Amino acid sequence: MAGIKELRGRISSIGNIKQITRAMEMVATTKLRRFQDRAISSRPYTEDISGLVGRLAAVLGSSVTERPLFQAGAGERTLCLLITSDRGLCGAYNSNMLRFMEQWKDGLDHDVDFFVYGRKGATYLKNREYNLERFLTDPQLEAIDFTNAAVTARMLTTEFLSGKYKDVVLIFSAFESMARYVPTAIPLLPISADSFEAVEDSGGSGVILEPDAETIFDSLIPRYLETRVYNTLVEALTSEYASRRFAMKNATDAATDMQKVLRGVYNRKRQEGITTDLLDIVGGAEALR
Amino acid sequence: MAGAISLRVITPENILVDTPADSVRFPGLDGSIGVRPRHAPMVAALDAGSLSWAGPDGPGEMFVAGGFAEVRNNTLRIVTQAGELVGDIDVERAEASAKRARERLRVTGTAAKAGELDSLRAQAALRRALQRMRMAQTR
Repeated sequence: MAGIKELRGRISSIGNIKQITRAMEMVATTKLRRFQDRAISSRPYTEDISGLVGRLAAVLGSSVTERPLFQAGAGERTLCLLITSDRGLCGAYNSNMLRFMEQWKDGLDHDVDFFVYGRKGATYLKNREYNLERFLTDPQLEAIDFTNAAVTARMLTTEFLSGKYKDVVLIFSAFESMARYVPTAIPLLPISADSFEAVEDSGGSGVILEPDAETIFDSLIPRYLETRVYNTLVEALTSEYASRRFAMKNATDAATDMQKVLRGVYNRKRQEGITTDLLDIVGGAEALR
Repeated sequence: MAGAISLRVITPENILVDTPADSVRFPGLDGSIGVRPRHAPMVAALDAGSLSWAGPDGPGEMFVAGGFAEVRNNTLRIVTQAGELVGDIDVERAEASAKRARERLRVTGTAAKAGELDSLRAQAALRRALQRMRMAQTR
């Protein structure tokens, strides 16, 4: 008979775990909200920058595609910025990311170098002896702000311009809804001119440009890339925490179910014990009569 | 009456300023540019410097670290990666960053072949820091 004492122990340890997972769920919820807020507050900036890029591209016309960041790099390799998480306990988030990355990589016929955010991805790449060019840890992924994202964007641009690479790709988890995060690969460089929003106002030629379209455009493009990288990071973080919250919620629910089942077994066992004891006593009393 | 132009300063973190203004002055790459209500559509690249305005809700001044200005439909949007209202400038931080930039300039100055880009960046950082300090002091 699986001891009644062991059962009691198991029930209480499941209770402890439940408390922990519930606390983690709550932490994930708070952080999730924080990243969502951040995504929302950077939206006006992002929209203005891409709006400006679109309008200036319209002014510049087809000469846009002759700018350096619009042409494939001189190199043979692809540079990939892979965003994973630093910590585990977030469901299938990392394994989905890494599986997707493998598939993507299998589809290429040339080598890939990696820039990685998140310890999980870095460990994975290291163990498989992939070419981990840089593991970005300063600052921690979670503490990322626009300035740091901008630094990363500049780093990627510099690498691209060094002539070692042919293109730069971001692999991250797109946030579709609270329960859907889709691993995605999007090209960052070279910039494709048709990625800009269609420009509505035809008054492009009437706009005063200070000092001139080329100068503005060239200083606009780095800003544009910064917003792309920043938004990607924030989206990846949102997915991570949504996934973590979901995983922790499932764990808490599973613990509740398990507790219920065990408590049923425990009560039955206890009742059985009492019945046996009673029978013994009654039997003993009968015998004495 | 023409009414005021609406001025909006937009950074990646928030919308820093949203106010009606009668006149606005901002640092263009080739010198200061002034904008009054009903200005023609314009797009300008900004240098690091002082953005100041006067309007019905009172005058104001702030530091912008470069970025862009766009005038459309009687709205002036200043899109900048960083900026602070004059009262919020962190002088200590500006001093530290000026020091860092000087240090970097000295190093890249001696190492002859060091990337031109690095030294340009350090120069820009130094300029931003000095401008911040100047603006904090004149107040």
